[in-house]
Amino acid sequence: MTITLRTKTALVTLASIGLLGTLAGCSGTAQADGTSGGSGVATTGNSTGSTTNGTYKDGSYNADGSYVSPGGQETINVALTLKANVVTAITVKTVTADPTATQYEAMFVQGISKVVVGRTLDSLAVTKVSGSSLTSQGFDKALEAIKTAAAK
Amino acid sequence: MAELRFEAIGTSWQIDTRNPLATQLVDAIRERIELYDATWSRFRADSFVSRVAETAGTWRFPADAAPLFDLYRQLYDTTDGAVTPLVGRRLEELGYDRDYSLRPATHLTSVPAWDDVMHWDDGILTTTQPVVLDVGAAGKGYLVDIVAGLLRDAGIDEYVVDGSGDLVHRGDQPLRVGLEHPFDPKLAIGVYDLANGALCASAPGRRAWGTGLHHILDGLSGEPTTTVAATWASATTGLLADGLATALFFTTGERLASRFDFEYVRMFPDSRVEHSRHFTGELFT
Repeated sequence: MTITLRTKTALVTLASIGLLGTLAGCSGTAQADGTSGGSGVATTGNSTGSTTNGTYKDGSYNADGSYVSPGGQETINVALTLKANVVTAITVKTVTADPTATQYEAMFVQGISKVVVGRTLDSLAVTKVSGSSLTSQGFDKALEAIKTAAAK
Repeated sequence: MAELRFEAIGTSWQIDTRNPLATQLVDAIRERIELYDATWSRFRADSFVSRVAETAGTWRFPADAAPLFDLYRQLYDTTDGAVTPLVGRRLEELGYDRDYSLRPATHLTSVPAWDDVMHWDDGILTTTQPVVLDVGAAGKGYLVDIVAGLLRDAGIDEYVVDGSGDLVHRGDQPLRVGLEHPFDPKLAIGVYDLANGALCASAPGRRAWGTGLHHILDGLSGEPTTTVAATWASATTGLLADGLATALFFTTGERLASRFDFEYVRMFPDSRVEHSRHFTGELFT
């Protein structure tokens, strides 16, 4: 997936991973060039979204993007607001809707165009968490070793 | 409430029960997990699947293999071959191997079609070439079921078995579960109320080891998927929930619903979400 992100100060091409994840996760990917939707393209190949030392300018961002959903090619428009590295608002409009998606939405699926905004787990009264955060220790160690080797 | 925490199959487990488990039962759980690992772990040189990976032949699997193989075949058919236990060799080549080399090989082989290389019938697997089986799509959920079964057999009727986020719950009080944001583990995208069933999650993000490299492979292309960011599926068993959570990376909820009874949430890379109609919980939209 490639999304071109335009603001009044930056034009960034974000590859491989979701817009939100990249904004939340990677450092050094945005490159301000002072033009209005002009050049100054920065590309990131990071697909993990798991590093946590990124900082981004507060403001409103707007982007068009396309990707292949299981139902076919779709184009979407994403608008989001960043404050202190947290997405505080986000809207997504589907520019080209996939007819299959619309059909199954009616029968079994709801809310395909709804967009989620994360809330801190600390603020929720949950006793369990289900997701991908807990991975094998061996894997984590190996990944760390590779990052260290790559940084030398 | 009593909590039992332990490490198994390379990750963290927790069992919550009203009263502490008897030592004998804890030992039985450990032994059962060890037996499962000795059968299915492709990260162990001495495992059964590591032997299967060495040579073609006729292999009699333990009794617990049948539900796993049967579900895999159903998912394989429903996803047109995208979900398959035959991604093992390809995962190794991409670097997700026994030594966690995490470095892709220069030459990658394609994922073989099921009927070209193996035949499963009544507990016996016949292979026409060495095959590297990887049951990562449903194997952990199934092990959570097996552990829950040991609790049930011991007369325990209220429990949560948590295999690092793959959950099986039984009891009168529903369990409120945070759905972890795939891009930030401090956040949740919603909550799910789990009652007398299983909830399993699948997301590639945190187990990625390079650009576009993670463990959820499309059996057709051999490539890691990119179209879905995270899935959660709830069903009567962990086996089914885990398998469906993976299958939702490759096909629609509706197609799977024609064959399986389940609820689900699916999140796309742009933060859009969809969910099944009777999803019991809340999404933060």
